[in-house]
Amino acid sequence: MISSMPIVGVTLRGLLGRRRTLLMLLLVALPVLIGLLVRLTGRGVDVDRILDAMLVRTVLPLVALVLGTAALGSELEDGTAVYLMIKPVRRWRIVGAKMVVAAGLTVALVVPSALLTGVLAGGAGSTAFPTTIGFAVAVALGGSAYACVFVGLSAYTSRALVLGLGYTMIWEGVLAGLLEGTRFLSIRQATLGIARGLAGPERAAFTTAGEQGSLDLGLSLVIVSVAAVLAFVLGTIRLARFEIRGAD
Amino acid sequence: MTSEQGPAVERSAAPATAPVPVLAVDHVARWFGNVVAVNDISFELGPGLTGLLGPNGAGKSTLLHLLAGLLQPSAGAVRIAGEPAWRNPAVYRRLGLVPEREAIHDYLTGREFVLLNARLQALPDAEAAIDRAIATVDLAAVADRPIGTYSKGMRQRIKLAGALVHEPGILLLDEPFNGMDPRQRLHMMDLLRSMAEAGRTILFSSHILEEVERLADSVLVIYAGRLAASGDFRSIRRLMTDRPHTFTVRSSDDRRLGAALLADPSVFGAELTAGLLSVRTSDFGAFTLAVPRIARSEAISLFELRPTDDSLESVFSYLVRR
Repeated sequence: MISSMPIVGVTLRGLLGRRRTLLMLLLVALPVLIGLLVRLTGRGVDVDRILDAMLVRTVLPLVALVLGTAALGSELEDGTAVYLMIKPVRRWRIVGAKMVVAAGLTVALVVPSALLTGVLAGGAGSTAFPTTIGFAVAVALGGSAYACVFVGLSAYTSRALVLGLGYTMIWEGVLAGLLEGTRFLSIRQATLGIARGLAGPERAAFTTAGEQGSLDLGLSLVIVSVAAVLAFVLGTIRLARFEIRGAD
Repeated sequence: MTSEQGPAVERSAAPATAPVPVLAVDHVARWFGNVVAVNDISFELGPGLTGLLGPNGAGKSTLLHLLAGLLQPSAGAVRIAGEPAWRNPAVYRRLGLVPEREAIHDYLTGREFVLLNARLQALPDAEAAIDRAIATVDLAAVADRPIGTYSKGMRQRIKLAGALVHEPGILLLDEPFNGMDPRQRLHMMDLLRSMAEAGRTILFSSHILEEVERLADSVLVIYAGRLAASGDFRSIRRLMTDRPHTFTVRSSDDRRLGAALLADPSVFGAELTAGLLSVRTSDFGAFTLAVPRIARSEAISLFELRPTDDSLESVFSYLVRR
């Protein structure tokens, strides 16, 4: 049986280009920098507010978007995907390997950022630390879901980056505050629901400002799982029918 | 090779004993919106070396991608050893493709690229297969360099090594000689010949007549998405040569030369328009011998004899019209 490891390896090499890696490291360093500033100034700022605003709303979707769309989309776009497609490899293995790499890298980048930011801003106190841990787990799960969705999206369109940006900025950023029903289709809301559920409501004082209600832990876990599985299934279906045109 | 359309020349490249053709294309068409890229093409291929000849934009790459299962036929079917090519990754165990596009994983070394191909084929002795494939394309000296540093010809060869690493019975090559210097070209030609002699089915595309002429015994000629001719290359070459030709002639007395040429059996028309003598012939060889002879006998100085329709486009167009 053919393993998915060669695809994992080549995707990892492709994603870890010097410029992209630097950009990602700078992105995930931003919340840490804010946490450091909070620590240095000694001002009392809720850890959850920093992690919510800096990580879940901005850095997490951006990192997942860049990695998710590049993992498969860039190879389909530049034509190098042909070398994977003309092999006796089932398409679900290709999509799965791309998702594992994109999700793995996203988690590897955002989880340390969440932990460092939380510890720097809130210390290891009885309230702040569980919140930090809750957020770290939540961004790992939410980031994986985001990455899978963006890998799946890139199998359908070469404009996955723009559409993904539209989803995170407009759908999750604007509509989630106006229409309550949209939160069920929001990975961000599910990520916050997980963080809140894990941190414990008595410790996690944060509410999603301007957004009505919140998702409970169980429903949030279902949403991120369904998003990832659906992205995998739809991405596989699309790749199985993906056509590569010749030069004429 | 057998075909159901075009001025097919009777010759079978497939051995008579082969029960199932290695490659079978049955009334295949492919269109993109309103553009018909491949139009109702049928042929069968067996072991041997076949050239897919046609001008740029004729549909060669589209046809090769249909054969490789990378495109779904809009109509008809492509079969590889009896199995459908489209949505059937299992066929890639017996098929190798060298695409025309230059895109390749630049960050990998040549060896890593071939290793990737070997591992995706789940080869039991990948290292030996890699060494063999790299040696076959004569790239051992630079195999540990990143592909991003390779010349165009080297990239073509490493792509071939990747396609060869699992020793497929069928090899499809899209414009394989692009970017190669003459020495590399000769090496590649020898390589393809030897692989065909070893029993592989090889189909390579080219828009250069001389490349196909030097390499392939049988040929598929494609023009404007249609199969214009197929079969033995020499017979098709003869068809190309024996078609009606038009020449323009400049001489010291065009009017008198035109009248004298009309008396020759190889000439079936001549006209003098705007001071330019235009002569039509149905026998290329006889005509080119007759012109200097007649000019000399009439004491006319011949300044120029130029074929007006000798481009590959006009040759292919003629084959389609026949």
